[in-house]
Amino acid sequence: MKGVRLLLLLTSLFASCSTLPAINPLLQQSEPVCPSPFLKEPSRLIHAIEVRMAGETQGAIIGVTLIDPSTLFVSCAIMTAEGMVLFEAQAAPELQVIRAMPPFDSGDFARNMMEDIKLIFLPPVGEIRARGMLSDGARICRWQGKDGDWIDVIANEPASMAINKYSAAGNWQRKIKLNRTAENAYSSIELTAKEIFNYSLIMTLIEAEPASK
Amino acid sequence: MKKISLIIFAFFIIFFLTAAAKADDFDQLRKDAANIKTVQARFVQKKQMKILAKPLISEGRFFYAAPDSFRWEYLKPLRSIVISRQGEAKRYIMSGGKMAEDKSSGAQAMRIVLAEVVNWTRGQFDRNASFRASLKEGPGTLITLIPVGQNMAGMIEKIEISVAKKTMAIKSVKIIESENAATVIEFSDVGINKAISDSVFRDVE
Repeated sequence: MKGVRLLLLLTSLFASCSTLPAINPLLQQSEPVCPSPFLKEPSRLIHAIEVRMAGETQGAIIGVTLIDPSTLFVSCAIMTAEGMVLFEAQAAPELQVIRAMPPFDSGDFARNMMEDIKLIFLPPVGEIRARGMLSDGARICRWQGKDGDWIDVIANEPASMAINKYSAAGNWQRKIKLNRTAENAYSSIELTAKEIFNYSLIMTLIEAEPASK
Repeated sequence: MKKISLIIFAFFIIFFLTAAAKADDFDQLRKDAANIKTVQARFVQKKQMKILAKPLISEGRFFYAAPDSFRWEYLKPLRSIVISRQGEAKRYIMSGGKMAEDKSSGAQAMRIVLAEVVNWTRGQFDRNASFRASLKEGPGTLITLIPVGQNMAGMIEKIEISVAKKTMAIKSVKIIESENAATVIEFSDVGINKAISDSVFRDVE
């Protein structure tokens, strides 16, 4: 019987983590301001990226991201520590792959990567459907995009934010945790992706600077 | 991923080319290379590409001991180490404050590639199927490696190794990937045939 209870508890916990969480209205009268860690100026960011699958480190790469929030221009490159460029692409806004070495030349990699970059660094596109608080007291705003996908932006004060993406049916696809420092909101990023093989990217900021495109 | 490892392989061969570059031709290089027992150096790597406003700077160090021990280590910004010893190559990366083995396919392919490196350490510079090597004497010595075949197609256009003529010290290496991307490695504190502790090729930390 204990085993059954444990199974039910785990199932309940798993369900609570993998579907859209309930949003409670705020008690205050005025409409709450949505959390916004997103870039406001053209920026160039360089991160060390650790790739993990099933909790185990698989490899490490360096990622360069150039973004202009006003034009939605995104350019990115992935390279090895040795400086070898494995992948380079830009969306301006049409996607153009400049270089893609195996395994970064497969399927929808470029499109998915651009979507992930936009999810991390740019405000969600769509309508705000709900604002309020989660059961743990964190502030949240929920967007719905044109394709029906949901994006939650959550402020876990004082220095942590989360961006979670769900399918139109409410199944989670991406979980992004941002740990900011006084200098930069993107000092530490942890992205967890639900794919055929789930993976995590642990991104640590190396350099950030204003950019002119 | 074998292609990626070939790039790392290209870094390794640079030392053996330059250290033996006093010679007028590659036959002499082979003879000179036989005298190299150890090599060690520090390096600064400058990555240039269009997306970067200024070069991305990496720093590291390199060790070699004949016949087949290597350590190629980046100290920053992304700490990583490749150690090859007795034909066994492993790559380590910083993970959660500790060094963890890189389990990607690139690390696996490196074992095959480093077996080739051993051939270069024996002075067989112009016998590798991956590169065509040429040597030009001028104010300095310039060694150029041009990839041949399909192994490096679209990866590297050429590698230029610059050596100071008087001292034969390695000055720099330029790996040209395309007209918009290049990697320049500048070496310092180069030591040939100086004692290197065995632990350098054994201990990760």
